[in-house]
Amino acid sequence: MNISKIANLKFFFTNTKNLSRFLGLFTFILFFFGIYWGLYVAPSDYLQGESYRIMYLHVPAAWLSLQVYMFMAITGFVSLVWKVKIMEIISIQCAPIGAYFTLIALVTGMVWGKPTWGTYWVWDARLTSELILLFLYIGVIALYSAFSDKRQAVKITSLLAIVGLVNIPIIHYSVEWWNTLHQGPSVTKFEQPSMHISMLLPLLYMFLVFNVYFIAVLIKRVQLGIYNREKRSKWMEDYLSD
Amino acid sequence: MLRKIIYKEFKSYFRNLNSVFLPLIFFFLIISIFPLLIGPDKNLLNKIIPGIVWITVIFTTLLSSSNFFKDEYNNGFLETYLTSETSIELILFLKIILCWIFTCLPIIFFIPIVSIFFDIPLKNSFVILFTLIIGSPILVSIGIFGSSLTLGIPKNNVLVPVITLPFYIPILIFSASAIESVSSGLPYEMQLYILMALLCFVLPIMPYLLKYTLTLSINN
Repeated sequence: MNISKIANLKFFFTNTKNLSRFLGLFTFILFFFGIYWGLYVAPSDYLQGESYRIMYLHVPAAWLSLQVYMFMAITGFVSLVWKVKIMEIISIQCAPIGAYFTLIALVTGMVWGKPTWGTYWVWDARLTSELILLFLYIGVIALYSAFSDKRQAVKITSLLAIVGLVNIPIIHYSVEWWNTLHQGPSVTKFEQPSMHISMLLPLLYMFLVFNVYFIAVLIKRVQLGIYNREKRSKWMEDYLSD
Repeated sequence: MLRKIIYKEFKSYFRNLNSVFLPLIFFFLIISIFPLLIGPDKNLLNKIIPGIVWITVIFTTLLSSSNFFKDEYNNGFLETYLTSETSIELILFLKIILCWIFTCLPIIFFIPIVSIFFDIPLKNSFVILFTLIIGSPILVSIGIFGSSLTLGIPKNNVLVPVITLPFYIPILIFSASAIESVSSGLPYEMQLYILMALLCFVLPIMPYLLKYTLTLSINN
């Protein structure tokens, strides 16, 4: 089986139905275990008590929000350069998912901030750059929905996403430089993570679960995108009438 | 060809002097509305006036650049540019510069008057001036990029600001911080250098990016 066959819209639409269903169920089970691990098994923090446990939703969502933006920009680049139809659909369908992840990260962060910092929101560097990321996503979605010709829309929005990808580090470091109050990254310190392994493992596990969830939702949304684009074509009518 | 295009641009700006003066009037209006809103407290105004100046410059550049290519897209000039022998990048670069000259330069000239109104010390007003001179071309070129993205959309009044404002943030941060530093007596050169670096990064790339978006928009 070669790549061009998977990239075929008809092939993708007719063959991934069971896959997305399976992945959805799989995510549900994995998520259940992850929540159990994070909320009951992992030890409580000596400083923050039990409230730190929201991290098991907050941190993976924040990671995914950036990762999905990168994925969106890269697939957009591929669709612009090699004109692969399925990449166009994948790229644009990433945007709402990424926006939801960003929203989850922001809301869980606010819920965590109230008992820990005493306020829901502070104008701190990482919070602000996450908020700006949300605005970047909203810009992409708004630009896409403003076009009536959706193929044209995808080209333009993937360009916006690529320029945004170039801009994200600049925004991130400028905002970081502007103000820093948020606790520093505690996983990616190279010498020694400042988190105990019994807390770190469920976090990495939840990150994996969020990735599987992302893939499951993405496949579902791509199917919807293919349907919207190809609903007048002959194979779709044949397939649906069967 | 190039000389004719420059001539045409100048002529279109000078024929409609409203497009040069109205941004300036708009700038003054917004600036004078702020004291009415937050009260005439001199210390407070003195503290936030750099931010107000920058917000007003953002509004002005967005207003003037959000329909930048609209006329030329509708009457077919853009296709002529893209197929002409003169390099389109050079034309676009000149158009960015001219747009900056006619919308931001008048405001920059009036910054000393604003600093008289709000009693800003001379050194601070110089720094505001520098940040505007370096930062506003970046704002204009990003705004023009946003307008080139929305060419195929009939009504795009709020869309261009929504798309472009996140890209403004680094420039705003560094210029605000330069002004903040100089008003509290700290060194401010570093922020200006970073702004210059951003300018040197954005301005040469922008014509090529614009050319690409314009060809995408036209070839639909």
